[in-house]
Amino acid sequence: MGENGHNEKRRLNDPPRTFKLKIQRREKEGAPARWETFELPYRRNLNVISALMDVRKNPVTADGTQTTPPVWDMSCLEQVCGICTMVVDGRVRQSCSALIDDLLLASGSDTITLEPMSKFPNIRDLKVDRSKMFDHLKQVHAWIELDGSYNLGPGPQMSNEVAQDRYALSRCMTCGCCLEACPQYGDDKYIGPQAIAQARLFNIHPAGKMDIDERLAGLTGDDGIGNCGNAQNCVQVCPMNIPLTRAIYETNRDITVNTLFGWLKK
Amino acid sequence: MATGPSITFLLRKLHQLTGIVPLGVFFLVHMFTNSKALNGEAAFEKAVQEIHDIPYLLFLEIFGIFIPLLFHSVYGIIISSESKTNVFRYGYARNWFYLFQRVTGGFLFVFILFHVLNLRFGLMPGLNMTPVAGNADLSYQIISAEFSIPWVMAIYILGIAATAWHLAYGVWLFAVDWGIVIGEKAQKYALYGCIAAAIGLFAIGANAAAAFVRPCGLLPQGLCEKPKVVTPAPPRRV
Repeated sequence: MGENGHNEKRRLNDPPRTFKLKIQRREKEGAPARWETFELPYRRNLNVISALMDVRKNPVTADGTQTTPPVWDMSCLEQVCGICTMVVDGRVRQSCSALIDDLLLASGSDTITLEPMSKFPNIRDLKVDRSKMFDHLKQVHAWIELDGSYNLGPGPQMSNEVAQDRYALSRCMTCGCCLEACPQYGDDKYIGPQAIAQARLFNIHPAGKMDIDERLAGLTGDDGIGNCGNAQNCVQVCPMNIPLTRAIYETNRDITVNTLFGWLKK
Repeated sequence: MATGPSITFLLRKLHQLTGIVPLGVFFLVHMFTNSKALNGEAAFEKAVQEIHDIPYLLFLEIFGIFIPLLFHSVYGIIISSESKTNVFRYGYARNWFYLFQRVTGGFLFVFILFHVLNLRFGLMPGLNMTPVAGNADLSYQIISAEFSIPWVMAIYILGIAATAWHLAYGVWLFAVDWGIVIGEKAQKYALYGCIAAAIGLFAIGANAAAAFVRPCGLLPQGLCEKPKVVTPAPPRRV
């Protein structure tokens, strides 16, 4: 942190002439994975995406073999769309905001390793299919029923407190970092923190509350919230600082009251 | 339309619950009984005899201990088998605790099997062949003989340590899984409390184990009751 409270950009004082990108390649879904290393000239202010673009211009590996240009997803390039998420040096994050200087400083080596996320189907190279996350949202009814056959009038008021809590949860960009880092997620045995937090987003909405039973039912299925292992990696890796664990535990309380002890109200 | 909770969900909740009640409570009672060995052979044997005198003991043993224990351990192994642990990539403390809960659970499965065969049934080949159950008057001597073998003692000390941690962290897991402790700060302090409880339980358990090979365990002997030497009174004239 600088004197003005802003994050100061870290720079290599004595940058190397070149650095290496070690990329996990895969022809298509189901094909075997292999590694390829590319050597690139160092430039100031490179990030992983711009380094990958350099590789794409001249896809020749460090040992001189001509190969296909690597495939990856990207869109906003400012860490708000989440689509460029991959595993950089063993840690899941957005590749657009992964700066080469930072990575080389952190690892102390001259090589940066890129892998696709392991919890999603790997379509090719660094590209994955994350449509599972959309299915999760459908499973937990992560929306508010608004449409009626007549004018329903203005919705209920929302307190400032609830609005702020909801804002924090609404920042989710469905990038998949939390699911990649979660030791319980995978094999479709657990729905994961992403959908739980989105269910919470609508459960605390004054109009969304009306469908809370439906959302909790989506979360108490075979792959539901009960399979959370409390390793709490999700909240550590979330690039949007979403209070994922709080969302899980508040939902746990709702479930204890409504689902486990709900029959006592009958 | 909303449907009820799934079987998996209910089994998870039952797994969390059985770890606290009855198994956690049983462990506390167990350590309390063991600690009576600090006051000598007679005090311990009296405590064992009192357990033998509990009414409906067999039912209590089957439905209060064996069945919950069997369910908790077998379902725990199923849960552990679903884990895709990644502590080397994401080495956060809670991630290590997550792994450790599964490792201690796996170890305890083997340890408790050994312990129950060794002392409850006296069926461990090469070791003690007299069950403590039903032989309250021999209980101290049986355990004392077992604990004098260094590797047996080491296994029991490890077992007590693993149980103390697994139970104390399990209480924390129960508190967060049932939505009792929610906030970040509350979870932090609750975790400190559970770590302190784990250390306390281990100290009590290990000291009780030590009391079977050295009077008063690891404490200075002045702290414990002196073993009473009972001189038989002369027969009263009738």
